[in-house]
Amino acid sequence: MIALESVSKRYGSKTIIHDLSFNVEKGEIVGFLGPNGAGKTTTLRMVAGFTTATSGRVTVAGWDMATQNVAAARRIGYLPEHPPLYDTLDVSTYLRFVAKAKGVARAEIGAELARVIEACRLEAVSRREIFKLSKGYRQRVGLAQALLGKPEVLLLDEPTIGLDPGQIQEAREVIRSFGDDHTVLLSTHILPEVTLICQRVAIINHGRLLAIDTPSGLQRAVEQANHVTLHVTAPAEAVRAELLAVDGVSALEIRPIAEDDRILAIDCRVDDRDGMEAAIARAVASRWELHRLERRHPTLENIFLHYVSESPIAEAAA
Amino acid sequence: MNGVLAIYQKEMWHYFHSPIAYFMVSVFLLGTGYFFIYNIFFTGIAAMADTFQNMGILLLLVIPVMSMRLFASEYSDGTMELLQTLPLQSWQVVIAKYMGAVTMLLLMIAGTMIDLVPLYMFAEPETSTILAGYIGFALLGMACLAIGQLFSALTENQIVAALITVSVLLGFWFVGNMQSFQTSQTLAILVGYLSFSDHFGEFVQGLVRTEAVAFYFIVSAIALTLNASYLQWRR
Repeated sequence: MIALESVSKRYGSKTIIHDLSFNVEKGEIVGFLGPNGAGKTTTLRMVAGFTTATSGRVTVAGWDMATQNVAAARRIGYLPEHPPLYDTLDVSTYLRFVAKAKGVARAEIGAELARVIEACRLEAVSRREIFKLSKGYRQRVGLAQALLGKPEVLLLDEPTIGLDPGQIQEAREVIRSFGDDHTVLLSTHILPEVTLICQRVAIINHGRLLAIDTPSGLQRAVEQANHVTLHVTAPAEAVRAELLAVDGVSALEIRPIAEDDRILAIDCRVDDRDGMEAAIARAVASRWELHRLERRHPTLENIFLHYVSESPIAEAAA
Repeated sequence: MNGVLAIYQKEMWHYFHSPIAYFMVSVFLLGTGYFFIYNIFFTGIAAMADTFQNMGILLLLVIPVMSMRLFASEYSDGTMELLQTLPLQSWQVVIAKYMGAVTMLLLMIAGTMIDLVPLYMFAEPETSTILAGYIGFALLGMACLAIGQLFSALTENQIVAALITVSVLLGFWFVGNMQSFQTSQTLAILVGYLSFSDHFGEFVQGLVRTEAVAFYFIVSAIALTLNASYLQWRR
């Protein structure tokens, strides 16, 4: 439904997006994850047709967004980074304007307005001027605007920013419910959000795609660089030698724990094999006192940091 | 077409809810009323010619304030991102906004017609001359609006847009004066042809020439085309 083929975007001599390629299938919800300034907004703007790629091709439902963006616009609902609101209009006048401008048939406008107002819980403020609304409500009016005209493709740039926890929950429900018959590409820098809503995650940094996979697939990929941590009362040099002798342990980091400097906290980098914990426990427990041992499974935070920290920051800064 | 209408209606909504619009219309109508009374009592002639000339200058100052927000505010409010991702071509957005501004201009012109009431009550003015003057004035205003809208699209800052527009409009208004110290015949003709005031002067005298009508239409068309191309290029 959405396809990017080696897309690059340059502003002057500055390259914002480097050779980005990925697909979003029909009915899929894909999360676009990256730190601030990674190129998420620029990419969404290209998919929405607001800006064009310097090279490469962006297509939505087969339409080329550089040249056929007007034809494709009817199928796209877009919530930009800053909700595009007219402050002096009241909420329903604004939504009516967007519905008309999007080409919603006159007879259906009333029903469409009612639908998005209900979906985004805007009943209480529908007659209020937009400049009087809180940030959370502004964000929801922005989301409502994107839903008008039942677009097949939803592009949401940080949809839950500015919402309180309850509203975030609701917004996620709304987005998830649209995943059934819509294709959704959303950007966020909130990690749990993608596991909760998205079927696939694309990680991007410095305008480059670092990984795209299901959340569990990403987890598997990173597990290859697994860690076992243990607390042990032992002399540092002896335990280091013992652990490095264990087959599968590739690197060690040893430091005393804060409460008691006789106890060492050791972080071992290990293979992806099963039973690594047991092998380490055997090697240590026979000679010293082992207090604690655990195999760390990567959380989404770790996965994210893993990819982002391995990306060529130095190159981009140069 | 519905999309163009939607933007047009949004524009009209803005004008009727904007204190700046009310203020500028009031300034224009009060100014026109003042010039009208002054000219009538000063000359004692039941004609609008001098008043039209004064209205022209006043227009050069009012138009930039009306046109400055047209695109600049869309940029600074982030709403351009909505307008440019609607199923509308750039030229349709440009036309919709322009039609809104022209509607305001025509309403403003209609407002000045109150001056005609005493004129027709107490004298017998020449209707065709007055009509020609109004046609010229509307065309002049439309050309000025198109230029103002273009400069509003070139900057995010409304004040900058207004200042550039005032400068350019004053330039077009006074460029004809350079004829008097021109040595080259061709240059003099060219300068005369570019002059907003020279063409407007013909209308005020009661002369509606195709050439002058075409001049204002061409200026408007060029400015609007540049406006739409710029929006397209900006993507």
